[in-house]
Amino acid sequence: MPIRSFVTVVLFGAGLAGAKEPTVEFNRDIRPIFSDKCYTCHGPDAANRKTKLRFDIEAGAKIELSKGRKVIVPGDPEQSEVYKRVASNDPALRMPPAYMGREKLTDAEIGLIRRWIEQGAQWERHWSLIPPKRRPMPEVPEKNWPRNPIDSFVLARVEREGLKHSPEADRRTLIRRVTLDVTGLPPTPDEVQAFLNDAAPNAYEKVVDRLLASPRYAERMAFRWMEAARYGDTNGYQTDGVRDMWRWRDWVINAFDRNMPFDQFTVEQLAGDLLPNPTLDQRIATAFHRNHRTNAEGGIVPEEFRVEYVADRAETTSTVWLGLTVGCARCHDHKYDPIKQKEYYQLFAYFNNVPEKGLVYNFGNEEPYIKAPTTEQEHRLADLDKSVADAEQHWRSLAPTVMDAQRKWERKIARSKTPDWTVTEGLTFHSPLAGRRSSVEVAGCGKDDVHCDLPLADSPAGKGRQFDGKHFLESDGDVANFDYLQPFTFAAWIKPESGKGAILSHYEDYFEGQGHGLYLIDGKIRLHVVFRWTDIGLRVETADPVKLNEWQHVLVTYDGKRKASGVHVYVNGTPQELKVLFDELTWPMDFKLPLRIGAGGGLRFKGAIADARVYRIALTPEQVAAIPLQRSIHEIAALRPETRTKAESDKLRFAFLDRAAPKEIRRARDELRTVQKARQQFWESIPTVMVMAEGKSRDTFVLKRGAYDNPGDRVTPGVPSVLPPMRPEWPNNRLGLARWLVDRGNPLTARVTVNRFWQMYFGTGLVKTVQDFGSQGDWPAHLELLDWLACEFMDSGWNVKALQKTIVTSATYRQASAVTPELLQKDPENRLLARGPRLRLGPEMIRDQALAVSGLLVEKVGGPSVKPYQPPGLWQELAGGEGYVRDRGEGLYRRSLYTYWKRTVAPPFMINFDSPNRETCTVRETRTNTPLQALDLMNDITFVEAARKLAERMMTEGGKEPRERVEFAYKLVLARPPKPAEMQVLMETLDGFEARYHRNRKSAKEFVKHGDSPQEIKADARELAAYTSIASLILNLDEAVTKQ
Amino acid sequence: MRPLDETGLALTRRHFFGRSATGIGVAALASLLRAETRAESATAHGGLPGLPHFPPKAKRVIYLFQSGGPSQMELFDYKPRLEEFHGQDLPESVRMGQRLTGMSASQSSFPVVPSKFQFARHGNSGAWVSELLPHTAKIADQLTFIKSLHTEAINHDPAVTFIQTGSQIAGRPSIGAWLSYGIGCETEDLPAFVVMISPGKGTGGQPLYDRLWGSGFLPSRYQGVKFRSVGDPVLYLSNPAGFDGADRRRFLDSLGKINQMNYEDLGDPEITTRISQYEMAFRMQTSVPELTDLSKEPARTFELYGEDARTPGTFAGNCLLARRLAERGVRFIQLFHRDWDHHGNLPRDLPKRCEEVDQASAALVQDLKERGMLDETLVIWGGEFGRTVYCQGRLTATDYGRDHHPRCFTMWLAGGGIKPGISLGETDDYCYNITKDPVHVHDLQATILQCLGIDHTRLTYKFQGRHFRLTDIAGNVVKNILV
Repeated sequence: MPIRSFVTVVLFGAGLAGAKEPTVEFNRDIRPIFSDKCYTCHGPDAANRKTKLRFDIEAGAKIELSKGRKVIVPGDPEQSEVYKRVASNDPALRMPPAYMGREKLTDAEIGLIRRWIEQGAQWERHWSLIPPKRRPMPEVPEKNWPRNPIDSFVLARVEREGLKHSPEADRRTLIRRVTLDVTGLPPTPDEVQAFLNDAAPNAYEKVVDRLLASPRYAERMAFRWMEAARYGDTNGYQTDGVRDMWRWRDWVINAFDRNMPFDQFTVEQLAGDLLPNPTLDQRIATAFHRNHRTNAEGGIVPEEFRVEYVADRAETTSTVWLGLTVGCARCHDHKYDPIKQKEYYQLFAYFNNVPEKGLVYNFGNEEPYIKAPTTEQEHRLADLDKSVADAEQHWRSLAPTVMDAQRKWERKIARSKTPDWTVTEGLTFHSPLAGRRSSVEVAGCGKDDVHCDLPLADSPAGKGRQFDGKHFLESDGDVANFDYLQPFTFAAWIKPESGKGAILSHYEDYFEGQGHGLYLIDGKIRLHVVFRWTDIGLRVETADPVKLNEWQHVLVTYDGKRKASGVHVYVNGTPQELKVLFDELTWPMDFKLPLRIGAGGGLRFKGAIADARVYRIALTPEQVAAIPLQRSIHEIAALRPETRTKAESDKLRFAFLDRAAPKEIRRARDELRTVQKARQQFWESIPTVMVMAEGKSRDTFVLKRGAYDNPGDRVTPGVPSVLPPMRPEWPNNRLGLARWLVDRGNPLTARVTVNRFWQMYFGTGLVKTVQDFGSQGDWPAHLELLDWLACEFMDSGWNVKALQKTIVTSATYRQASAVTPELLQKDPENRLLARGPRLRLGPEMIRDQALAVSGLLVEKVGGPSVKPYQPPGLWQELAGGEGYVRDRGEGLYRRSLYTYWKRTVAPPFMINFDSPNRETCTVRETRTNTPLQALDLMNDITFVEAARKLAERMMTEGGKEPRERVEFAYKLVLARPPKPAEMQVLMETLDGFEARYHRNRKSAKEFVKHGDSPQEIKADARELAAYTSIASLILNLDEAVTKQ
Repeated sequence: MRPLDETGLALTRRHFFGRSATGIGVAALASLLRAETRAESATAHGGLPGLPHFPPKAKRVIYLFQSGGPSQMELFDYKPRLEEFHGQDLPESVRMGQRLTGMSASQSSFPVVPSKFQFARHGNSGAWVSELLPHTAKIADQLTFIKSLHTEAINHDPAVTFIQTGSQIAGRPSIGAWLSYGIGCETEDLPAFVVMISPGKGTGGQPLYDRLWGSGFLPSRYQGVKFRSVGDPVLYLSNPAGFDGADRRRFLDSLGKINQMNYEDLGDPEITTRISQYEMAFRMQTSVPELTDLSKEPARTFELYGEDARTPGTFAGNCLLARRLAERGVRFIQLFHRDWDHHGNLPRDLPKRCEEVDQASAALVQDLKERGMLDETLVIWGGEFGRTVYCQGRLTATDYGRDHHPRCFTMWLAGGGIKPGISLGETDDYCYNITKDPVHVHDLQATILQCLGIDHTRLTYKFQGRHFRLTDIAGNVVKNILV
């Protein structure tokens, strides 16, 4: 017998003692059977329906069959074909059909169908699609028990089932429970004592208010939201590169802290970018839908994965807000719920216009992303902007001085021959190729004399070499090995005789090979920067060809920002229009190759080349223009200023500042450069965050069988027709969709949201399937309560803190969690809520509690993710490389929501204790109880260190007597003193460990060395080791890892 | 009886990974369910009532996953006619517009390249095996080759995820997790599903991901447990320095006493479960080191598996551990050997991978046979896809590479339930398309489950309203290779 039927029958149906022939409710009792057992062939999916008969809509179930037979005859099961068929023992007649391998319905299910027909076969719309209404508060005999309406609903039900509610938990239990639930951390002994001492009738409410006002509350709430939002610090596929999304995480913390109304919280995350004049914060909020996994694996078909990202957004939105499994309609109409495949793609269409790539960058955020400075960073940036402005101002104020000094210098050099000047900043290779001396050494020219025998050629920059289309020059060293994020400049004078050839290259001698190459192809100048020819690299060419058989100066710059837009090509100092051929430079490059002149990529040069240069910076246009000038500075200085070209004036100014400027001028210029650089460096250190944006509208198609390359009909954005329509005043885009989700008329969002909150406190939602409110979902244990909470939530203006307060101040929540065998038997899962919740803590709380009670916890809200302890080698064994480099210092002791989350190798402690893996949206909380968890709590350095530090606190703050010290630790961890029997066990154990460590001092010394944190008290290692053992024991208690 | 769903998991019997803590009391429910619980096999711990569906041929699986995509043309699928086509462009009549990866799709040419390595027929079955796998060749009569596997994915992440979980997209349980959930384990002292990883000795190879042995939407206790060669074999297994086994015993005795007191006050059966999980942890602290201690293995073992088997973390070492795990009743043992992704330098690198795995793979089969365990152990050897017949990158006289090829690849199976000494499926002269007996990944998965006595259409789990299964909505058991 499946357990759901068990719950249905025993808890909600006729099973409980004393109940007789209760009313069968279609939605509660019958629809789940139809859905699970019949919909596959008689449900919403038209493609799978064998006949007109369908059980998802009333008209389809009440059709007349052939020969006058009826599917359902109200009041008469024996005349109803549906009953006869499910009850039949003849395998040929019985439904669901044996030939499909389906089992017969259980007797309980058949009985329910029978009684439902007997009682008139009333049909209802699926409950979750009917908007929630406040229902009359039920009358309860025990009028003084309810503290708020939650309790009236719960008590009425408890009494109806013949049960009794539990007494209120004692204050120690209560304050520990609520403090962990609301803030994720345990109460301090002082907080416990204050609560015990507070005789005010609202003492508990005061505690709750204090907790809700704490930033810890916001961190606690953010953690669950991060799981729903599939937040991670890496991309999540294959090479699993890094990303920076923590600014979004901090936005969430801030939103909970400020108690942002949930409707606003929704709109800003789904469509903050589409609000009028969106603020930086509103744009950061939209990172919610960039948190999905992204793929950087080389060779993927980008569209296949771009489609996957859009699908993830549609499905996550549906799970988080609607509690609907729309993903089931991706390949075909939904088998259980009234959602057509077309409607899936209509929802998909809202998220389909992001100007994004399917194959993403592996080493940081992928577009679209924005700079997202923190408030502090904004201040610092403003300060730096001011310093730059000041330095610029100072520089401008020196203009007359500069002018005077330069004039004097010009007069001097105009009179006497002086060495010419050229741009040497960043020059890493300069080969005049022959003759003319230069201030730069000639780097190795030619490995053998064949090469060096290339004939000389006269060029505007002195002698060059004549290339024959076969021979070339090659450097000795690896002089032009640039990574993809390093800027560079390649330059040379050329006199080509053919429109095809290699000018300068650091490239394999194979056209589709790897490296950096400057070529002529079809007479046009080409730059290739290639990691892998087919898919990783950058290729641009000039729109116009160069002239053959004429000397021209060609120069290309690249700014190191991995985009073709950062490439500029100049001919004779003039920028050229460019055509981008390929723009996917995404991977590090480090190829050991020579620099070649006149060769590379399988090409050779025919014609002459002179003055080849490589710079390790991208030269500015002014610097570029100065290089090919024919006039030396001596000649320019001799010209009247108004007859000089701009490039000539610039060259002269550069030369002056380089060589002859007085100290004051140099200092001002250096100062300007320094502050500009500082500003630039700071700007680059500011985090970015990937955000939503609307690019060019993409057409959306139904994808047949869900396949990216199999489009069917075109669809426009729209919401499922079974839900209320969009209002005309809303735009039909993401913003409209967001407003629709939080509209009062939407029957799902508020219910789904309060249900998830409820799960945080009770471990199980009022609807157990928090992710599925459809017909396959669980029937709500307390529908009236769910609806009351949903209405209350909406009517309060979606006030999140107020809702939490309502829940945790209810008498229901405040009950003791002890359970009798009878209650355990009747209601093992506590769905009726006749007792308080007792649940193992979530992973983040187990760790955070250990850090808190040991005094190690570093409380600091927000910032980049941190890397606490993790067993070594976990990353390398799966992916090689450098692996996990853990933090030192405070990064080890931050709350767990800040722990760096690598999706393909998630933090082992978190996974051990049932954290979702953050690959996809997860809203269901699960808790298991395993030996690996036991090993973790006993032996993980995090907990061994915490035990040691807790032991130190026991020995310093706990008093002198062992009993006092143990009591102190108990109060820290469990918020109560030990009972006498416990104390006896603990004291015996302590004695045992003390004796053991006194026998072996070496072990004691080893045992108190775990963890980076220094020992801060003077204590004998033997004693500290014994107390550490006891502290570890306390942290391992079932009660310690449980909220009870 | 249908398998339990999300709401019913707490009903499984005591199990290595404990049980769900969602609150259903074991005692309470055991009595309610007694009438429904069918006799389970005498040795199974955990698993679903009613499973296996029929008498299994194999009790366990050892899956030697070769990650990266070994080349079928160099190893098993002999294609003599490729010599004739050497250097010619792959004809469109063969490619038929089928998609390629982004790594080679825009190559200006697709020159066919034959294997540099020699093939010969081996054993009574006359199986073609490459000179790169001399030890495998010697046991050819024990093996069944499937030369007609095909997959839907063309890149590593989706392809490995597909083989492991039946879906290219993350979120589904891995095959070992399904088995752990469905038929549990033969031992209480070790996990049902163990994973071991070895890097290739070259660059290490393509990354792997925890999801490949994850539990997907199944509870986390069904996920594979990595046995590691660095640090503790199982995470957090060892007591901290300065705290020994006797200390741990004292610790657990006291911990158990206090937990028991709490249970008596509160009545929550979760507390007694926790007590037993701590005891299980304690037993693992003994059983796992005993398992990984090879000092009592005779010299003959290392002659068989090779000297590499003495080095923890090598493929050979992991093969030996796999045998030891199998002896102790672990249900699903999966090895991953990385670095079979030979886009370039194939003639240089492929022989190294073969050398790393050949002897130990064959030794494992041989060893299991000698111990009488091969009949009840299904051994599987293969990667996530095959490789292209055309050269990726530059084709030279001595060098070539091959891109990913999803349309055909070869695996071998041996042992429990498998007909030895046969070859199933054929590919065309270009080793590009399947010409006979195609076997889809879902078919392979269905067949593995079949060997273990499971009807793949009936091992399901209800999640988000749908009854999911490993083989999604497909899969046909490959009956031709079954005994």
